[in-house]
Amino acid sequence: MLEGILPDNILNIISNKVNWQTVNELRLRADKPIVITIGGNKFFLGETGLVTKLNEAIFSNKTMIEDIIFRASECSLYSVNEQIKRGYIMTRGGIRIGIGGNLIEEAGVIKTMTNFSSLNIRIPHEIKNCSLKAFNNIVSNDKVLNTLIIAPPGAGKTTFLRDFVFQLSDRNLAYNVLVLDERGELDTGKRGALGNFSDVISFAKKKVGFENGIRSLSPDLIITDELNEQEDIDAVRYAVNCGVNILASTHADSLETFIKKEAFKKIIEEKVFKRYILLSCREGPGTFEGVFNENFSRTQIFY
Amino acid sequence: MKWILMGILFACCVVVGYIFSSKYKKRMSFFSTLILLAQKLDVEINFSRERLKKLIESFDEKSRGALLGIDKAFIDYLENGGELTGERLFGKNNLIKSEDREIVTIFFRSLGRSDVENQSKEIKNSISRFEKLLNDASSENKKYGKLGTKLGIITGLAIIIILI
Repeated sequence: MLEGILPDNILNIISNKVNWQTVNELRLRADKPIVITIGGNKFFLGETGLVTKLNEAIFSNKTMIEDIIFRASECSLYSVNEQIKRGYIMTRGGIRIGIGGNLIEEAGVIKTMTNFSSLNIRIPHEIKNCSLKAFNNIVSNDKVLNTLIIAPPGAGKTTFLRDFVFQLSDRNLAYNVLVLDERGELDTGKRGALGNFSDVISFAKKKVGFENGIRSLSPDLIITDELNEQEDIDAVRYAVNCGVNILASTHADSLETFIKKEAFKKIIEEKVFKRYILLSCREGPGTFEGVFNENFSRTQIFY
Repeated sequence: MKWILMGILFACCVVVGYIFSSKYKKRMSFFSTLILLAQKLDVEINFSRERLKKLIESFDEKSRGALLGIDKAFIDYLENGGELTGERLFGKNNLIKSEDREIVTIFFRSLGRSDVENQSKEIKNSISRFEKLLNDASSENKKYGKLGTKLGIITGLAIIIILI
């Protein structure tokens, strides 16, 4: 999965002494120990695999970090500069590498990032049927209700969305689904992962992607990750006004935090979203905390 | 028999002289092709932003021959990683002087390491350095290029005269 990107010694340890399938993320910070997150728990990476003692941990350095970024960009940083400006690189296969370093700004415009000092490699997992628990709450009378997945980072939003698209197709609900994959995370490139009725627009901002997608692909449903800014909310409103349903996600660790998000206030009042699904990491990524209706009353509790 | 032997010796001298001369031509051709490659990379990086490997592979097949195999060595580095050294890039080829090799190696090492704007600046800087190296190679070719073949012919003739 990360062959040719991670240094050989790190890759060998992870491949032979750690179960790849369980790894959620891998963090490398300059002159600090390499940290692996598995099921919400953090470990150091040592020569023997997962370790908890600092003196047994392998330390990463700046050269290692720079080399990983160089390799992840297929030795062509200039080709992924737009992503680097936004703080990440997507590798082939949908692995998102978050990057920390010095942002270079000129006249208020971010030009690039240099002096890379940390990496967060998020390993995507396909968890079959993970959206089924909430499926019947979202799909009503063969119609997909406008739904927002609310979860903190790493709680399985993207995995849920990806599986939901697959489940629609698997049930022969032949909606024309537009997957607007702004960060290139939803479409892992794996054949059939997004079902048979989906079109994908990648690396486009929500506003442009929604407008172009609706105009050219006439979708019944748009699925997108991480609504954050007012511009994203306006794009959602535009789609809904065009008669297109939305399934999207946003960052928040609870409903209370979500309700306080300035950008969402109006759209909550307008009751655009008919369902809110709250996910957490309480029992590992993808823990369902509940499904709520437009008035934030629970329609389903998961225990 | 004597004439055949003299003919062979003469031909050998001419071939040695020609090989000596062609070294200068090859150096000239190497730098002019390298400039073409760098110019192509500059344009493509600015407009298509395609990955390096594809850009190098799409460089004119006929011209690539003049690059003395460094294109293949660079693609190997892109595919397999490791350190990019002068030895790795040039292999056992000694047509290029060691100080010039260093300049070429630095150029290839800098590829893919920065954003479009800085990459383009670096390539343009390298092109001016390569142009200087091309000028040097060109004047050396003028000075010594034909000399080798001429010396080969003269030596061959001298041997024939001595043998007669």
